[in-house]
Amino acid sequence: MAGAGVIEEYVGDLDLRLRGPAHVKADLLAEARDSLDDAADSYRDRGLSAEAAERRAVEEFGPLTVVAPGYQAELAVAHAATTLRTVALLIPLTSVLWELNQRFWIGPWAGFDGPPPPDWYLFAARANGHLPWVISSCAVLSLLVGRLLSRYGVSGTTLGRLAGGVAATCAVLAVSCNLAIVTGTAALDAERLLMPAPVLGAAAVFYVVLIRVGVLAKRCLALSAV
Amino acid sequence: MKSDALRGHLDALLLATLDGGSLHGYAIIEALQRRSGGALDLPTGTVYPALRRLERAGHVTSEWSTVAGRKRRTYRLTGAGERALSDERAAWREFTTAIDGVLGGGPWPERA
Repeated sequence: MAGAGVIEEYVGDLDLRLRGPAHVKADLLAEARDSLDDAADSYRDRGLSAEAAERRAVEEFGPLTVVAPGYQAELAVAHAATTLRTVALLIPLTSVLWELNQRFWIGPWAGFDGPPPPDWYLFAARANGHLPWVISSCAVLSLLVGRLLSRYGVSGTTLGRLAGGVAATCAVLAVSCNLAIVTGTAALDAERLLMPAPVLGAAAVFYVVLIRVGVLAKRCLALSAV
Repeated sequence: MKSDALRGHLDALLLATLDGGSLHGYAIIEALQRRSGGALDLPTGTVYPALRRLERAGHVTSEWSTVAGRKRRTYRLTGAGERALSDERAAWREFTTAIDGVLGGGPWPERA
């Protein structure tokens, strides 16, 4: 194996230019290094010195400005897939966790004293119930559409931006819907918000997941900005 | 041949190199150069992201394996990849037949 350090330096520079999931990046860089080693071995077998063979292999591999965007696009799309899987799994899971806690510690919701709640409140309550599943379905659908778009040559950076947009929209919708029902409940019967600690804890977990989704969505856009 | 001219055909070329069986990345590059008589001149570093894109599209699968004592990621065509390659070949034949009909026959219209 060649060992003049030219390949090492090139792969190091490529590493510095790329941002994204560490395991995917390590895998891409390992493959790049293997390819460069193979090429250098081949040139050494044809009589070049170790350093000349490595330089030739690096030259053939291409300038970093040409090569790095393709790698970055793959990192962006890998992060996008992780983001959509997080949305698809964690949002309904934390919602179910809250529902179970609420049923165990509070039981079925009692009706409001006095006049029935306004239509907008009932709408917000129903939306809150359905939204986690709608969001999960959207994320799964986005993963499938992403795979289909890949077949039509849509770039990884475009897919990353789309996934970031979908995830951010899902997080904003979930927060808006949740805040609407909390605000509505506070206006109609504020005492209902004084829930047992485990139920409030489950609500906090729900918000932590939404914040995490927001961060992942922002990173989707940052990794796709090449 | 310049890399700009190849860019639109790179996916089909990569699928074609895998038609005979699974290959690791550098062997795919060697096959491209050998089968083109050395005319395909593109930065080899652009091949690996393209292979990952094909994997994402479900046209190839890959796994790490040991080849000649070195760990390498090896790619092979999937059923969807075989169908995509067949479609690309049919489209290419249609294209070259049409272009050859215009460019390949000498001056047109033929002069007496």
